[in-house]
Amino acid sequence: MSGPAVLTEQLRRRFGDTEAVAGVDLEVAPGEVFGFLGPNGAGKTTTVRMLCTLLVPSGGRALVAGHDVAQDPSAVRRAIGVALQEVGLDPLQTGRELLELQAGLYRVPKPRDRAAELLALVGLTDAADRRVKGYSGGMKRRLDLATALVHAPQVLFLDEPTTGLDVTSRITVWDEVRRINAEGTTIFLTTQYLEEADQLCNRLAIIDGGRLVAEGTPDGLKSELGADVVTVGLGRNGTKQALRAAVENVAGVDHVVDTEGGVAAYVTNGAAAVPLVVRALDEAGVEVGTVSISRPTLDDVFLEATGRSLEESAQEQVKA
Amino acid sequence: MNEIALLSRRAVREIVKLPAATLPTLFIPLFFLAVNIGQVSRTFNSDNAPFLFGQDYVAFAVPVSLVFAVSTATSGLALVTDIDLGYFDKLLVAPIRRTSIVLGRLAADFVRGLATSTLVLLLGLAFGMRIASGVGGAVLIVLLAAMWGVAYAGIGQAIALKTRNVQTTNASFIIFFPLLFLTPNFVPFDLLAEPMQTLARFNPVSYVIEGLRSLILEGFVLADVAACLAVILVSGTLLTFLSLRALANYDKD
Repeated sequence: MSGPAVLTEQLRRRFGDTEAVAGVDLEVAPGEVFGFLGPNGAGKTTTVRMLCTLLVPSGGRALVAGHDVAQDPSAVRRAIGVALQEVGLDPLQTGRELLELQAGLYRVPKPRDRAAELLALVGLTDAADRRVKGYSGGMKRRLDLATALVHAPQVLFLDEPTTGLDVTSRITVWDEVRRINAEGTTIFLTTQYLEEADQLCNRLAIIDGGRLVAEGTPDGLKSELGADVVTVGLGRNGTKQALRAAVENVAGVDHVVDTEGGVAAYVTNGAAAVPLVVRALDEAGVEVGTVSISRPTLDDVFLEATGRSLEESAQEQVKA
Repeated sequence: MNEIALLSRRAVREIVKLPAATLPTLFIPLFFLAVNIGQVSRTFNSDNAPFLFGQDYVAFAVPVSLVFAVSTATSGLALVTDIDLGYFDKLLVAPIRRTSIVLGRLAADFVRGLATSTLVLLLGLAFGMRIASGVGGAVLIVLLAAMWGVAYAGIGQAIALKTRNVQTTNASFIIFFPLLFLTPNFVPFDLLAEPMQTLARFNPVSYVIEGLRSLILEGFVLADVAACLAVILVSGTLLTFLSLRALANYDKD
């Protein structure tokens, strides 16, 4: 692969009157683990489905492994592996049957040997001849990942690969993603877990309302916010307006973002800023619940880019 | 092994592993066969009903049961279950001709049709039916019934691909009633009252039943078998085309 592993130019997708993806420009280099973050309904899965040839774009252009998803979908399909958010497995088949079928469909030589190799790789040899419907969530996810790998794809799309998994299974999947990437496969990963993006991704982009709102390396995005974050939680009788007004005027505060229970102030020196923030709040008569200092996290990046935390976004989605 | 054979093998394996999906489809035709024989065999017998060609009523009823047995929405339901579970997406992103997803299922429907129609035919023989066209005719009956099963499966597949909804696909069995009951299923065309007779003559399924029936009661009647085959081929081509068109438009919705 000489050019980018994934390239999109003003990629769009409309469903009726709703523009789910509204002009996304992305470039993913070969060998990267690229994270695509966003709340539910932000356009992550729609983008991935277009890149995987499962959805025809309404506008713009997308190239995967150098092939246009609209003009040459067959070439794209030969180059990619896909593990979608919903584990796509046939519960009636055994793990071995599924992998042998998958290897056959990809015309992999010696499908039986390849299936056995992949079963060993994802630690399912002992369960290979059991029907998939009896597998645990983690086992299904690992098998799904194995089905995406039968033909050693150039680009692997993982759409929320650890959603719903326990911590142990999540770490197993992370290890597997690192191993696959170390062998040269480019990975395009969507996730709602910021820790996952921090752990795995070389670069990431945040999408909200169908548009990219931030893009860069995890460290680069965090450092753009400032050196430290001073988070102030409101007391019982305080108002967020007064709190914000008081904090904004403190020397050394770069900018302030509302959080669910207060505000987050991005400052160049947290240790120096905290006494000043406390004094300013005291002078303004704002009752404070908590004050804490931390390094910016991806959650802060997300908050800055979208105006809400990922957790709040998830809650909004549940309420909707 | 090519992709149609691979997907067909998977679908056949599914039929074997989930007999609960196929057995109920056999219950209805066998129930109707037993009820029809029980209710009508004393009214129509070889002495008073020339349309039985000297046989018992079971020989007249078995073709209806054959058509009932193979006319199922089972493969449409299997397809919409794949869609529901996300496995269908896995097939769509595989570098295969998408038509093979539909054709693989239809090939499995043919295998299922061969098995179920053989079973119904053997049951008819056990009840005293004779096949006037002999062993060759019996083979032709099984083949034609299985082919009709493939043609009919196109309805369920097209609905599954268009709606992607399990309930709607399941409800497609409603089509089964007008198609299979507005036919000469109890008595020949000539004995049907109007407007039932006219409706039955316009219903293509009538000619599938009549073709199978002629092989059992009369032997090889070319016109009847040709009409049966023509209906199967035309409806099969049309319904498969509708399924393939729904599949071609699948990722545009």
